Formats: sequence, structure tokens, C-alpha cells
Amino acid sequence: MDLQTKLRQEARKLLEEKLVDVVIGYEDEGAPLRTTPCFITDPQDVDRLVWNPFCDHNLARYLTARKDKAAVVAKGCDTRAIVVLINENQIERKNVNILGMPCGGIVDRKKIYNHLKNGDVREAVLKDKVITVKGLEFTADLMVDDFLADCCLSCRHRNPVLCDVQIGENLPPLDVKDEYKKIKQLEESTSEERWEYFRKTLSKCIRCYACREACPLCYCQQCFTDQNFPAWVGKTTDISDTIVFHIMRAFHTTGRCVDCGACERSCPNNVDIRMLTKKIAKDVKELFGDEAGLQLEEKAPLSFYNEDDPQDFIK
Amino acid sequence: MQEQPENWEPRIIAFLCSWCSYAGADLAGVSRRRYSPNVRIVKVPCSGRVNPFYIVKSLQQGCDGVLVSGCHPGECHYSNGNYYARRRFAILKRLLEYIGLEEGRVHFSWVSASEGDKFAKVVNEVTETVRKLGPATRLVKHSPVDGVVN
Amino acid sequence: MKTIKKDKINTVLDFLIKKYQVFGPVQKDDLVVDFGRIQNGAQACLEFSNTNEPAKKLFFPQAETLFSYTGSDAAQVSELKPEKPRIIFGMRPCDAKSLSLLDAVFDGPDYKDPYYIVKRKNTTIFTLACRRPRSNCFCDSLGIGPFSKKDTDVFMADLGDRYVFEPITPGGADILNKIPGLENARPTDAERLKNLRSEAESKVARKVDLDNLPEKLARIFDHPFWDGIHQKCLGCGICTYLCPTCHCFDIVDEQKDDKGRRIRIWDSCSYPTFTLEASGHNPRATGKERMRQRLMHKFRYFVENYGEIACVGCGRCINHCPVGSDLIREIENINNLK
Repeated sequence: MDLQTKLRQEARKLLEEKLVDVVIGYEDEGAPLRTTPCFITDPQDVDRLVWNPFCDHNLARYLTARKDKAAVVAKGCDTRAIVVLINENQIERKNVNILGMPCGGIVDRKKIYNHLKNGDVREAVLKDKVITVKGLEFTADLMVDDFLADCCLSCRHRNPVLCDVQIGENLPPLDVKDEYKKIKQLEESTSEERWEYFRKTLSKCIRCYACREACPLCYCQQCFTDQNFPAWVGKTTDISDTIVFHIMRAFHTTGRCVDCGACERSCPNNVDIRMLTKKIAKDVKELFGDEAGLQLEEKAPLSFYNEDDPQDFIK
Repeated sequence: MQEQPENWEPRIIAFLCSWCSYAGADLAGVSRRRYSPNVRIVKVPCSGRVNPFYIVKSLQQGCDGVLVSGCHPGECHYSNGNYYARRRFAILKRLLEYIGLEEGRVHFSWVSASEGDKFAKVVNEVTETVRKLGPATRLVKHSPVDGVVN
Repeated sequence: MKTIKKDKINTVLDFLIKKYQVFGPVQKDDLVVDFGRIQNGAQACLEFSNTNEPAKKLFFPQAETLFSYTGSDAAQVSELKPEKPRIIFGMRPCDAKSLSLLDAVFDGPDYKDPYYIVKRKNTTIFTLACRRPRSNCFCDSLGIGPFSKKDTDVFMADLGDRYVFEPITPGGADILNKIPGLENARPTDAERLKNLRSEAESKVARKVDLDNLPEKLARIFDHPFWDGIHQKCLGCGICTYLCPTCHCFDIVDEQKDDKGRRIRIWDSCSYPTFTLEASGHNPRATGKERMRQRLMHKFRYFVENYGEIACVGCGRCINHCPVGSDLIREIENINNLK
């Protein structure tokens, strides 16, 4: 039985037996190369649920501040986000039923648009691992594996780290040569080159805060950007303020970010947001040996310390 | 080496924990120890209290350099504030230098209440390092955004 | 009508640049074309579908200084006159229409916004007919079409080998007459334009019925329908920022030492803090109220206040919504409600 059918079966059972109030998953509303989050409460509607490489959203985003019991379709990275949220007391373990999906990677549709030189895709049909895209004046067969999101290319957590039901067998680990390759390239360039790189990518930002809203871990009732007393950061697109917004938002994900890529995918202007968050994740790993969202009750790196933490940078 | 305007002196802000580093600075003064006058001190109860935003906003507002100094590990008046600070600043310093802030603008030190000499030495060192880098420009918030698309 | 060979269009731009501040579509990265200041003709990218950001940003910028002050001197109101008159070259008809909707708000009988008006008065618009509507365009459902000649000063179209220019307003005709090197249109050009227009209109794939929407919305304010549609919305603000007609703003002050300024910045009704009151009460406390408000404002309140729907069918909200919320589907669902 394919995973989509298994998923629907499990969802139906959960709703029929009233073990959950809602199943949060993905459905296909017809837009090419996309799925969209859905909230299923009626067992008769479970056939709306789909599972395919276009299921890119991190649905853990919808779990905070819920008052009901929810089942959620969660890929490896999504389950890590759920672990972090449970550890931070934002959701109660007993109120979430995790339908863990081993995931071979999701498609980054911006890569497809790039490949098609921004061609207007009017239709996309996925069969096995081939996507047939059609525009008014073109048609092309694309391999799913050629257009996976960057975060998926270096994924070390394809299987759910925590779940109530796992839909499908574990996937073998990906042979990841160097997940921090791009970060290291930047680290090895000069300070001027790095400044120019970040100034250029961050100057595209229009301060829409989609990155913040898409991130499951940005759940603060009042974000630092919205504080007036004191006003930590200005709200215009002034480059200094924009850079500060991004580095501090990234800083606030220290030891928590699971690199699901939702931030970067949501950006309408293609700002390289993950170049910041991934750098911090790399430093957390190197300095403290920690990785976010792998275990319940793990200690958050910045709320913890070891007496022999690195301090070679301190005079 | 950046172009330096004539008579420019580095302006450095220092966040000193009141129990150790601030007392150390005081001792330097009482001991008549001479050191560069470029540092403006902000007293905080503990290095662990220093919000990363203090450092970042100082740079935005035009400080050429930032120093944060606290008690040696194991000697924090609040037991472990400096341990948290150590972790926090390790990440922040790496992040700031990664995005292109010149290495040498942001400094951290452990200075105890009895280390008046060390405090003076640290300040002199930081001042000279920042002097060589020239006035801060990269994160500094400049003139108002006018909105006209350029 | 005048024409010029396509490969000579840079000379037109170079001529205009000498006398005007020229803004036009510029390639920002592989996928994004946006309005930018053009300093020489080669910078313009005229083979594009539509800009990411709408033309509103050239009249109602993301951040605009209203006034600034130093010490206790009298506040300096921002210089309201742009240095040189401006030309926006290559705007699409949908964006052009959006400006007339924004005019109702910023240049209406009750309120005149000087910052907006000075830009409007000093700007000449050259629209470029749209030969490549994208899959989420629905401009003709709003009475605009890809080849609409409304709300512009000069209408341009790509005939294939040449661009054709048609003056629409006296101001546009004035500028057009000064541009050197333009040839007269050929007798066959009008027919060609008509055919290209039909071709473009056939590419506008999506249609939505807006006829009774304002009245319907007035009847369904408390309908349980609103409980469902907001659930996936992140409240991220992209739809409002990229919408050509959305115009909500916030006002913030910034100060350093004795200098400061007051700035108007884009705001969004999707943000939770949009209606947060000082008491802590929030009339639109959840996403449900906020999404309902957004649809009500654009498709009912704006009609009640200004007589038109505040939407131009550009599809940016659908294209860029991170979770795939689809405005057209939502309207269809509303239309189908009993």
C-alpha cells in the first residue's frame, strides 16, 4: 500500500475513534507544483490528504496555541521542530499525535522556475519520480531528485525522530558529504567579501516578516521587532536595520532551528536566510556538540552550560 | 586599514559586570594606572545580563568597538551568569564576524576585581585594535531612508 | 501611434533619462524583476511577466520620511518635490489601474496626502501591454485587460519586431512628441495590435465572478465559513505587501541624540498587532477576524466607500503566498455559499 493511502487510513481511524479533533496535513488544490495545508475534522474528508514531494510546509507551525488535540503529518525536520516545541513547553506531548513520514526530500519550486527561465507552469503532473510540467508554449519532464530543496540535499534526519505512528519504513541515510559546504566557503572568504554578500542578499528584504511567520519556532507573542520600549530595531528597509533584524532573528533560533527551510521558501524576494541560521547551527554543533530537536527533555544550548565551554575568544 | 579622519579617536563602549570587572576598572583608577580614555563604561550587574542587542545596537549607533567583561568562570557573583554569557557571546561573535563585521570590533574579557592592571591592559589592547580598523561603517545606521527608489 | 524597432528601445530610454528620473523593470535576480531606477537604457528588462513588487512602491514607498528634526529647531518637512519629474516605463495595466484606486484614498475629497500627490503629479506613466499573462492572472474579471489603455499616459505594446506607442493623455503626448527616432505606425499595426490583444486575453486563464460579491459579503459576516479559511494563513503579510492596492501603513519615530524623524512604513492587517489597542484589547484577535477583514475591505468596504473593488487581478497574492492560499478559490467558495 502506498504511503498516501496508509496516511489516509490512519487519519480516518484517528478521527472516527475521536482520538484527535483535527488532522493537519497537506492537500492538493490544483495549483501546479504545490500542496497546501489542510485541517481535516471529518473522517469522510481524509481522502483530501496527499503525500508527495510538494508537501513542503512545516506543519508544526500550526501546533502552538492550539486548544484541541491535533494529529499532524510531519516529515523528519518537522518532527524535530515538534520536539523543540514540546521541550519549550509550547505544546503538550499528549495533545499532539505525530504521523511521522520518512521523507526523501521536497521539491523547491523556485529551482524549477529557474530551470525553466521563469516559464509559466500551468500544469504539473507527478508520476513516480518524474514531474511533467506544461506551460502554454512548453512541456518538460523533470526529475524530482534534480530539484530538491537545499536543506534536503544535506538532510541527516529523513526519518521522524519522534512520532506516534510512522507511515512507512525508515529511509536509509543520505550520504551527506558536507552539509556546511556553502557556509564554509563564506567563512573562508574575506571579511569584505562576506559583508558584500550579506549586504546584497539582505538588501532584497522588504520586511514582510514571512520568514518569521513561517518558522514554527518564532512563536513569541510579541516579536522584538514590534517592541517600542525599547525599539530594538527600526522597521524600515534601511539596510542596517534589515541586517540587524535578520541576524537577531537567526540568533534567536540558536540551538533551536531544525533547518526545515520554511523561512527561505516563504521569502518572496529570495533572500538567503538559511546562510545565517545554518551558520549558527554549525557553531552550536562545533562549540557545544548540540543539535536541535533530537530528544525530548534535551537541554537548550543557551539555557545550559559546561564548565569547560570554549573560551579562546575571551581575553 | 581604513581611511581615518584627522583627530579621530575610537569610541568604544564597555559593558562591565559590577562585581568583578567594574571593580577592576575602579582599582585601575585608584592605582593611578594610565590607560586609553576611549572607553565609555556601562555597568551591568552581571555579564550574563548583557543582551546581545546591547552589542548590536551599540554598533548600529556608531560605536567603533564593543567590550564586554565579566567575572572569571567559577567566580560569578550570581554563580553562573558568566557561563551563560560565555555561550551566548561565542555564538554572537562568530555570527557578527561571519556577516562581515571586521574582526576586532567586538571583544570579551574576564577581569576580576583585583585585576586593575589587566583591565588597563585590555582597554589599551582593544583601543589599539579598533584604532587600526578605523571608524565603524558596516553596521552603522546612516541617513534616513527617503523612500525614493534608487 | 508611433513605433520604434525593438533593438532601439534603449535609445528611447537614454533620451528620457537625460530629462527625467526613469524607473522601470530591472532584473534583480534569476527569478525577480522589480522596479528600479534606470540610469541607462540597457538596464531595463522589458521581457518579463510582471514585477514582484507592485508599482505602488514608487508612490507609496515601504518607508518614507514625513519630517525630520534637529534639536529644538522647527521640524523640517521632507522635501516634497522630486528633483526631476519621473517616468515609469513598463508598468503593466493592472498596476496602472491600482494607482487610480490608491488615488481614491490618498487624493480624495476628504483627504489629500501631500507625499503621495507630489509623486503622482510629477510622474508620467508608460504602460507596457501584457503579452504574457501568467497562470494566476485574472485582470479581466476586474474590467482591466492585458492590453487595457486606461489609467496611463502612454500605452506601449510589443508588436514582435517593434514597440508601438500610443499617447493617451496630453501629458503623455507631449513627452512622446519629443522623443527622437520614432517612426509612424504602419497601417497594418492597428490590426496586429488587435490580434495580439485577443491572444493575450486568451492567456488569462482564471476568471472569477465578482458581480454580487459586495452584497454577499455583507450578508455573511457571521457565517461559519470564516472559521475554516484562515486556518492555514500564516499572517505573514506577503499578500498585503505585494498587493498593488493594499495601502495600510504605520507611523514610527526614530531618534538618535538630538536628531530624529517620523516615518511612514507599510503595515498589514494580517499582523496580529495591527489592531492591538493600548489597553491590550484586540478587536481582531485571531486570524479569522483578520482574514475576514482583508476580504471584506477589498471586496465590500472599498466598494461602499469608493465605488470600486480594491483588486486588480494581478495574482501576486496567489503566486507568493507561502501556504498556497488562493484568493480566487476563496471568492468562488463565498459565491457558492448558501
